[in-house]
Formats: sequence, structure tokens, C-alpha cells
Amino acid sequence: MSADPVVPDIKVKKLFRKTVFGVFMLFGAIGLSTSILNVYTVDTHLSEEYISNSKGIAKTIADASVDILLNRDLAALQSLIDQFLEIQGIRYIYIANETGEFIAHTFVPGIPEEILEGDPLSTETVERSLPGLGDFVEVGSPILAGVAGTVRVGMDRGLIALKIQRAIGQQMWLFVVVGAVGVFAAIWLVNLAAKPMARLMAFAVSLARDDEPANAELLDRDDEVGQLARLFRHFANQRSSGDP
Amino acid sequence: MLTRRTLLACGLAAPWFPLRAATNFDGVTEDEFVLGTSAAFSGPSRGLGIELYRGAMAYFEHVNRAGGIGGRRIRQKIYDDGYQPDPAVTNSTTLMLDDDVFLLFGYVGTPTVTRVLPLLKKFQDRDMYLFFPFTGAAPQREPPYGDFAFNLRASYGQETAGLVDNFVAVGRRRIGVFYQADAYGRSGWAGVRKALARHGEQIVGEATYERGTKFTSVMRDQVNILKAANPEAVICIGSYAACAAFARDAVDMGLSDVPLANLSFVGSENMLKLLSEGRDDAERYTALLVNSQVVPSYEDVSIPAVQEYRDFMARYNPEVPAELVTEEYTPFPHSFVSLEGFLDAKLMVEILRRLGDNPSRKGLEQAVFTIQDFDIGIGEMVSFGPERRQGLQGVYYTVVDQGRFVTLDDWEKRFANVG
Repeated sequence: MSADPVVPDIKVKKLFRKTVFGVFMLFGAIGLSTSILNVYTVDTHLSEEYISNSKGIAKTIADASVDILLNRDLAALQSLIDQFLEIQGIRYIYIANETGEFIAHTFVPGIPEEILEGDPLSTETVERSLPGLGDFVEVGSPILAGVAGTVRVGMDRGLIALKIQRAIGQQMWLFVVVGAVGVFAAIWLVNLAAKPMARLMAFAVSLARDDEPANAELLDRDDEVGQLARLFRHFANQRSSGDP
Repeated sequence: MLTRRTLLACGLAAPWFPLRAATNFDGVTEDEFVLGTSAAFSGPSRGLGIELYRGAMAYFEHVNRAGGIGGRRIRQKIYDDGYQPDPAVTNSTTLMLDDDVFLLFGYVGTPTVTRVLPLLKKFQDRDMYLFFPFTGAAPQREPPYGDFAFNLRASYGQETAGLVDNFVAVGRRRIGVFYQADAYGRSGWAGVRKALARHGEQIVGEATYERGTKFTSVMRDQVNILKAANPEAVICIGSYAACAAFARDAVDMGLSDVPLANLSFVGSENMLKLLSEGRDDAERYTALLVNSQVVPSYEDVSIPAVQEYRDFMARYNPEVPAELVTEEYTPFPHSFVSLEGFLDAKLMVEILRRLGDNPSRKGLEQAVFTIQDFDIGIGEMVSFGPERRQGLQGVYYTVVDQGRFVTLDDWEKRFANVG
């Protein structure tokens, strides 16, 4: 009886699917864990840097405000804080005098209720969420040790979130590229491993059917496939000779 | 690389500018005085720079055609700053260091001038002075920069004090402020606050807008903030486009029984034009406007300087150099701003005349101090001195009547609070 050996490649596909799934899972786990770590790291470092910079800026304004305040020149004071608004991340600045009166600020169309209700003379660092404006880290610095008032500077947390998004976005791109390369590499490797297995399968089927052995060159191989081929031929020969 | 500014400077200079020696120029030659100007000729406030220039040029043109000052013509070297501080600083640096002008003249705006003042201090060894800027802010009137500028007009402090005093006198003590979020707005805000404090009052509400706001902008948020404060009058410290937008929305949103006061800087004619153009019900938006001015009404031809101004404006009809025209603008035959520019130029010419035959920057300050009880033609004498660096003190109040600004004679009759 002679028939084409049927090569059952379904197991090879299973092997392939599991490998690809494994690669995806591995990259997913790495991506997720490093993303979480990145978000935490970038957020923490940027927040610390922003607060530190804001404090520096608030102190600079406070120091520069002394003479201007003593000269009662509020136009010059406003001009001073307007220049600092050009620094990336600074969204608002306000200055209160020693009685807590707002004597210069950069808010449009007006000072938000949340700030009007707060303590303008505080030098504490606070996080604020202002409706319609966004989320801010606000720091303060006393003017003339606080006897002339306080400067408070609001840094936009939205900028930190944007930078985190950018960092994560770049990281995701990297993972997508590396992942794609990994999948193609896995496909190639699985194919490489599956081909001799398929030929061995065809060889075994032909022995079982007492056909002319297909892929007889496998017997010459000195690897595991060659050993298995020779073992299959040995079993086939035993069966043909009627040995138990 | 040839920049637009370079081309502009070359273009303006070309007709009369003689080749000058690299040294000992100092902005004056045998033939001319070169005055440096940085002002708004573009953007939403361009009307101010253009009108101020036209008024000044009417007088300079007259003097130039009559042979100049001791044979020296007056020429303005002009740059456009669009009413923005950074270009104003750059332009001023160019004017002082590269163009080496004789003096700075005819600047427009507080946020611009406030940033230029430190430059004058930095280069004080050049004896460079800023003459008659179109702003009533305090920085160029007080230390540490007051010594580098001379002002003709009354200050914003005087304008706001006059408005507050008059409102309080007619029973309107609850005053709110709408102002530009910059040095100009803050200067006016501080003036209102100080004036109210003298009456034992405080600003009842305040709203701001960003410099450069156009008439098409919506001011509903600002109106809502001020409405919530229930004011009996609102003093606006802004430019014409934003103040007109605010007046429009205030009336539309029911703030129609509250007088809206504006300072001289607003540019009254431009504001009125925006509120009136294409409207049948313009009076609804203008009936409660009251604008303070630092020059008398240009309609009052009984005033000699006004007669002279109207005569020169009609005779010379000065136009802004084509190179500076980047946006459409139709000038007014007469305006408070151009009248102020005219008076600025008239006093400038008198000061240059007093420099004598060998004018130099070093003699400028002393020449200014010789101005004592000088009759500029508006009924108020002008004097300067080491402690007096502002020539005029008068503030005038105007309201809209039959589609034009006229002098307000009776506050009680027009704005008495009967509520």
C-alpha cells in the first residue's frame, strides 16, 4: 500500500502559538512593570524638581520685590511677576501684602475662589485643583521675612502629566518595536525547529505504513532527529521480523 | 540678512538721512535732530501709536517746513513694538546703541515703557532721556527711574483719583475695577485703591483680561465677576478693544445702569467707533461711558492750542509711513490721542530750541528745567524741575453725546446715584 504520508502539523502550530503567546506575555509583563516604575520615577523626580524650582523662583521674586514694595510701585511689581510667567510650567503668581491683601497677580478673568478663600500669607507647599484651570503645585516665599507679605507661585501639574505621557509613550514605542522583532524571531526559530520534526513525523508515518521511507536522509543526521529516526527504523525492523 | 526692521529703518531714513560720521553723532547733525520712537503700529492697540504719531508729526511737519530749529529738521526714527514689552526693549536698544538717536520720544504704553526704563538707567552715561511717553504710570515718575524720563500728561493716579472722587461725590461709593492684567492695569488698579482708601472704601470687585484682547472677544466671565460684586460704578483700565468688548457685554448682560469709566489711554474715539459702528442702538452702549482725558476737548476751538492743532492736522494730514502700515486702520481727523501727541511735539520743539546752537544730550536736562510757566496753549502753564518731571496736572472728563465725546460739566446730573 502506498499513500502520501500525512504530516500532522497541528502540534507545530500549537507550539508556535504558545511561543508567541509566551513572548507577548513576557513583553507585556516587562512593559507594564517598567511603565509603572517609570511613572512613579518621573512623577516623583519632576514633582521634586518643580517644587524646588518654584521655591527658587518664589524666593527670587520675593527678594526682588522688597525695594519695589517699599517704593509702593505696584506697576513695577506687576511687570516683575509678568516676566516670570514666561518660564515654562509657571501658570500663576500672586503677591499679598502683610495684611493678606492681593496686591499683584496674574489671574484672568479674576482670582479664583479657592485662592481667595485660602491663606495668602502661608509659605506652605500645597496642591491645588482650580476649576477651569487645572491642577497645580503652589509654593510660597516670604517677603522681607514675611513682614512685607508673601509671594506664591503656581506650577502646572498638567505639564508633569504631559511629560509622563511622553516618557511612557516613547517607552511603549520601544516595546512595540522590540516585541515585533521578538515575534518574528520566535516564528523563525519555531519554524526552524519544526521543519525537521515534521520530516521526522513523515518518516515515522512511512515506516508505520511499510512504505518506502520518506526523508531517509534523516538517518544520516547525528542530532536528536537522526537518533529518533534510527530508533523508529529499529522498532519498524523489529515489528517486521516478528520479534517481541 | 535684511530684516523687515532694517528695511523699514532704511526706508524711513532714505529721503533726508545724510551719511554720518561714526563718532560724535549723538542723534544730532547740522541738519537734523533724530528722535527715536518705539510704539504700537500693529495689533489691537495700533490706533494709539498711529494717532499719537499723527498728532506729533502735524507739529513737527510745521516746524520742519518753516526751516526747523536753527536749521535742523526733526526726524523720527520709528519702530513698531505692537504694544509688547520684548519688542519695545529690542527696539529701544537698537535706537540707543545702533541708531544713536538724540532722545526717545512718543512711546506708547505702560508694560512697554516699564520694561524700557531699566535700559535708560543702564546707559545713563549716554545721557539718554525718554520724553513724554503715552502712559500715566508711576515707574517713570518715581525713583529709581524717574530721573530718566520727562512726562507731559497727568498720571493714572490723578485720573483715577479724579474719577473716584467724582463718583463718590454723586453717591457711587461701591466701585469695581476691570483692568488689563499687566503693569498698566495694575497701575490704574493701584490708583483706584488709593483713592478709595481716602474715602474709607475698598474696591468691591475686580476682573481682568489679557493684553491684546480684541473687540470680538467675549467678556461674560468678567461681567459676571463684577455683577456679583454689585458695583455702583466700574473703572476700566484697558485698551479700546477690550474696554469696548467689556462695555458691550456689560450692557447686554444687564449691567446697564452702572457708569463705566475709562482712562485716557483707552483711546476714546476708537472705543466709540467699535461700540457704534453698524449699530442702530449705539446709545444704549455709550450712554453711561465716562472717559477721563489728560488734554482738553479737541472740539473746544476757544482753546488756542486746539485751534492750532485742528489747523495743522487739516493742513498737513500726517500719515504713518507706509512701511509701518501692516494692518488696516482709518485715522480720525481729530482725537484726544493725536491732540496729546501734538502737545508733546510742541513742548519737545520748545526744549530743543532752548538747547541753543550747539545742542547735545548733556544739555537736555537743563534745557527742560528752563521750562517754567510755559504756555503750551491749553490754559495750564507747564513747568519742570529736578523734583517736577511731569508738566501738566489737569484731568478732563468726557461723555458721549450725539455720537461724540464732549466735556462732562455736571456729574450730579449725569451720574447721580438715585438708588
